[in-house]
Amino acid sequence: MKRRLFIATSLSTLAGCGPVTAALAQNAQVQRILGAAEPLNHALIGTRGLAREYRDRDVDRNFRVNGFATPADAAYERLAAADFRDYRLVVEGAVERPQALSLAALASMPQRTQITRHDCVEGWSAIGKWSGVPLASLLDRAGPRADARYVVFRCMDNDGAGNLYYESLDLHQARHPQALLATSLNDAPLDADHGAPVRLRVPTQLGYKSAKWIARIEVLGSFATIAGGRGGYWEDQGYEWYAGI
Amino acid sequence: MNAAQRRPAFYRYALATRLSHWLWFVAFLVLVGSGLQIFNASPNLDASDKSDPARRVLAIGSPAQGVGTTTIFGHTLVTTGWLGWTSDGMGERGPRAFGATITIPGYQDLAGGRRWHFFFAWIAILCWLVWLVSTAVKGNLRELILRRDDWGKLWPMQAYYLRLRKTPPDHGTYNPLQKLAYCSVLFVIAPFVVLTGLALSPGIDAIANPLTILLGGRQFARLWHFAGMLLLIGFFAVHLFQVLTQGFFNQMRSMITGWYRA
Repeated sequence: MKRRLFIATSLSTLAGCGPVTAALAQNAQVQRILGAAEPLNHALIGTRGLAREYRDRDVDRNFRVNGFATPADAAYERLAAADFRDYRLVVEGAVERPQALSLAALASMPQRTQITRHDCVEGWSAIGKWSGVPLASLLDRAGPRADARYVVFRCMDNDGAGNLYYESLDLHQARHPQALLATSLNDAPLDADHGAPVRLRVPTQLGYKSAKWIARIEVLGSFATIAGGRGGYWEDQGYEWYAGI
Repeated sequence: MNAAQRRPAFYRYALATRLSHWLWFVAFLVLVGSGLQIFNASPNLDASDKSDPARRVLAIGSPAQGVGTTTIFGHTLVTTGWLGWTSDGMGERGPRAFGATITIPGYQDLAGGRRWHFFFAWIAILCWLVWLVSTAVKGNLRELILRRDDWGKLWPMQAYYLRLRKTPPDHGTYNPLQKLAYCSVLFVIAPFVVLTGLALSPGIDAIANPLTILLGGRQFARLWHFAGMLLLIGFFAVHLFQVLTQGFFNQMRSMITGWYRA
């Protein structure tokens, strides 16, 4: 009987872990300590090698739509109605030559096509064929200044409460050969639900890094003054800035 | 004074062994709880690289309000209250694969679950390395390693436990079955769980894609990682049963103070 009592006590103690961990989960100090794993993961894994590139037949023809709702404001609808002819991808901030590129101008730059897997932080994966301009080419064109450190992507979608999506990469991640400003998915122009007219693809990190509906790119020395200061919308909600794991 | 207390005590577990044991215990509970939290964000396991419903091995879901189901290899079971429709950690029940009593944090929080998981993954791995070096240096590792002549003694040892044999076969500090269990967990299953976890990382995948391919792809790695967790839970359950049935207080004392009464 004692043994049974012990097992019952142990189990109810384990069940009691819920409130305990909830309290710990809301303790900022505890969360700072747990966050120590991120710089370790970043240092150890980093951005190295190349993500696997697949064959045409591996592609998901109906690539899963995720993230925030497709922008529905008047400005976006106007752009979309005119096939994004009036869209300009702005590159500004700590650059020698600020840019405002039309889709035609982007199309005239050297293109890259890559069939890569999108790994969502939720756990699922999908494979898409992405074409567009390597981010490195665009950075070369704009010429980051000596004080530049991060590339911040300002997007047109919001969380429903008006907070605009944004993301960031450091210059090293941004110059990875597979960091792509995609304008095409599965041999067709990027559609509205997948981030038209321009989205980012960073296959060496989790999906939330691959910002959709990019309005402008800011090259900055720090992202501390933007929104929650952690370098991205989901980072501000507690997700890691380094999303390689 | 009873008979047990009169028996001589001997120093059974070194400090490094005891510390790593309890640290692993904590890390194991946190890794399972936070792992289930992470699983909840996408409660399917596919034997494939990309997500593929045609190769779905496990799916936990809620097809209707108040109903939880678990589908294994295409066979669906109603698991309301246990899996699929469970406590949400806010005093209600809702569509969640694993309930708030076993996830960390209790309520739905993928970002939080990931923080707990990665931190304690580091703790478990560093603990393993410290334990390995310290036991190897002290020479105790030799007592634990399964050797060629142990293989032939596995059945006699099992027969002894089943009372088909009066005496156990000759053995050192650990009997052949103990060696098999501990070596499997420490040198096969635990490293397997770490490797399958690493294969889920797109950053690692870019560095070591053959690892992901070897495991059958990323979603398959997620399935292996989950299966590895089940094996560790299986070991934990048997281990706990043995501790409870073979002199609980003596066992606990020896793993806390190091001293065991023969």
